[in-house]
Amino acid sequence: MKEVSGVTGKLDALRRRRSVVLLCLAAAMLVAAVVAVALGAVYVPLATSSRIIFSRLPLLGRLVDATWTPTQETIIISVRLPRVLLALLVGMGLALAGAIFQGLFRNPMADPSIIGSSQGAALGATIAFFFGIKVGLGGLSAVPLFAFAGSLLAVFAVYVIARAGGRASIASLLLVGIALSSFLASIVSLLMVVSEDRMHNIFFWLMGGLGTGNWDMVLAVLPFIAVGIVVSLFMARDLNLLMLGEERAAQLGLETERFKWTMIVVASLAVGAAVSVSGIIGFVGLMTPHIVRLLTGPDHRFLIPGSIMGGGLFLVLADTLARTVIAPNELPVGIVTAFFGAPFFIYLLKRSRQGLS
Amino acid sequence: MEWKTLEARDLRAAYRDEDVVSGLSLTVMSGDFIGVIGPNGSGKTSFLKTLSRALRPRRGVVLLGGEDLYRLPAREVARDLAMVPQETAVSFAFTALEVVLMGRNPHLGRLQAAGPHDLERARLAMERANVWHLADRPVTELSGGERQRVIIAQALAQDTGLLLLDEPTQHLDISHQLSLLELLAGMCAQGLAVVMVMHDINLASQYCDRLLVIKGGREYTRGSPGEVLTAATLREVFGVDAIVTRHAVTERPHVIFLPTGESRRDTGPRVHLICGGASGAALMRELLEAGCYVTAGALNRGDGDEEVGRALEIRMAVEAPFSRISDEAHLANLELVREADAVVVTDLYVGPGNLLNLEAAREALRGGKRVYLLSSRPIEERDYARGAASELYRSLQAEGAVEVADRAELIALVIGGEGR
Repeated sequence: MKEVSGVTGKLDALRRRRSVVLLCLAAAMLVAAVVAVALGAVYVPLATSSRIIFSRLPLLGRLVDATWTPTQETIIISVRLPRVLLALLVGMGLALAGAIFQGLFRNPMADPSIIGSSQGAALGATIAFFFGIKVGLGGLSAVPLFAFAGSLLAVFAVYVIARAGGRASIASLLLVGIALSSFLASIVSLLMVVSEDRMHNIFFWLMGGLGTGNWDMVLAVLPFIAVGIVVSLFMARDLNLLMLGEERAAQLGLETERFKWTMIVVASLAVGAAVSVSGIIGFVGLMTPHIVRLLTGPDHRFLIPGSIMGGGLFLVLADTLARTVIAPNELPVGIVTAFFGAPFFIYLLKRSRQGLS
Repeated sequence: MEWKTLEARDLRAAYRDEDVVSGLSLTVMSGDFIGVIGPNGSGKTSFLKTLSRALRPRRGVVLLGGEDLYRLPAREVARDLAMVPQETAVSFAFTALEVVLMGRNPHLGRLQAAGPHDLERARLAMERANVWHLADRPVTELSGGERQRVIIAQALAQDTGLLLLDEPTQHLDISHQLSLLELLAGMCAQGLAVVMVMHDINLASQYCDRLLVIKGGREYTRGSPGEVLTAATLREVFGVDAIVTRHAVTERPHVIFLPTGESRRDTGPRVHLICGGASGAALMRELLEAGCYVTAGALNRGDGDEEVGRALEIRMAVEAPFSRISDEAHLANLELVREADAVVVTDLYVGPGNLLNLEAAREALRGGKRVYLLSSRPIEERDYARGAASELYRSLQAEGAVEVADRAELIALVIGGEGR
């Protein structure tokens, strides 16, 4: 029994360390969000911006005296706060989907676009631009709506094509996803070539960015990301089982087909929602889970929440840089995520004893 | 612990349109230790998969405790039935303890974390599988054999009454193979039911109570190792020549496999071997490989040469065990001598019981046959007939028998037809 306590002690220590990592990530994410709201082309002191946000909180808001100008309030509440929140949500959604797909496909190269969602969204958005569609729904314009629909349709198509004999194997999902993505990308390129005047719009959308962020978008995206977070946290242990292969997971009590389908739907909804409001932002979904895995280990019960918070933190930082570095102009945020994310990732990789697997 | 029965009835399973299992049935009850043997591609693994809810049969049914296995929820099945696959790759660096704790999954509620009881079951399973010392090592850094034992511990941690294993010993060294089989046998004695696909037929014979032999997706035979493991079955199912003896300690069947040369039987001269006490076994095979038609005698049943000869299906003059060669056997021997082109006398021990064999050689000489004496040891050392053997031997030499000290040389002479 003495030895048991030794190893369980180690297990406890491991769990404690992982919990500390999660707490640190949560704290960092909150601090980054608050500071990001203060930063921008118009100077608003950190204390002031924090108090403006605080004043909007239910109940607690009355404790703060309004000692700021209406302009400051407008900038913080109507412009910066929704944008930072949107960055947070999109980052969370992408990283969450990345973690899910890497687990589901047991493939460290998997990212949110692996089964066609990004290219589907791109085609949807391109069609909206190309035909100048103007319909809107719930405060969302045609482009995000079409992007969302395109994303889900693409994933659905991949799943239907990959199904053989009632089950979709991981390998065929991957292959069909890659093939369909290439096909959709070629249509996007075709539409871009024949639509000279709108090509700029399409191109810029494809680069990804949060510049158009507003409260409507935040509210539109929130339910999808929230559902994704709740469901994936609920099913994190099942993802661990899948690391032994589908057959072994089933023998340990997992209904693999239903589980795969649920995870694909949840992740695709999160990605579709994220992509529809931000365009295609690379790197966050691929690298965040890897970075978090180096800190928490491969247990999805820690990896999933860690990735969610890490993704939010990462995209808030990247977007803040994108809009402040060359203010009043903006960089596409995708450039920032790759420029800073990749070297940091390589640094962690070199430092880590175990490497990626 | 509730011991449920696993029953497979007339299973047919297929990949695409190819049947891999055609009509197998099996009932597994508490305490059974069943070995499944058969050549590669005979459907053993597929059979085990259909039993473990991983491959839905096209026809037939698998019942777990009387209920259709494929209609039961996966979690429920996983509490009664555990399976160790041939190989399990683990993605990402989980520690061995974490992997074994996954075996507790079917016993845990959705958001319930593994508690002290689960940890205790995991520890016990890991100690049984000899991997407790690896508990906090990442499985990705373990050797194939260590990882296999971690997966075995994971299956044991499921605390099931039924355990299926698909060649679990293939990555294990002999010491771990034996300790695993001892462990399983011990657990069977306490009620666990084991079905195990095995390649090592001797280990299967030592540990399994019943064997199911599969060939081409069908049952070839089944029964106790003693009933199933015969030279004829092994040749039919695996296409190998073997001698089945008894394990000296456990008295279970013990199989000795014979090297298979290219069979070029019956094209060369007819050779009769006078041998005994395993002095002729190697020569029998070499002469057969060289294309000779080989006969032997007179041999006592149970003699090493007699067993080899039986396995190689050669004609022999046979006497009862440990008996003096009777006139009847001697006459049968002389008959075989008459049919032969050449007679070879190995460096056998000669006593009063088999002195007639040297007489037979002298008959051969007198009948005009070529006779060769393999004499790597002098006859005096082998004479237990108080000089009678040496005397007969000298007369053989005097009458023209050719003495050769080396087996290869002897075979060359026999085939070349020289020496007389």
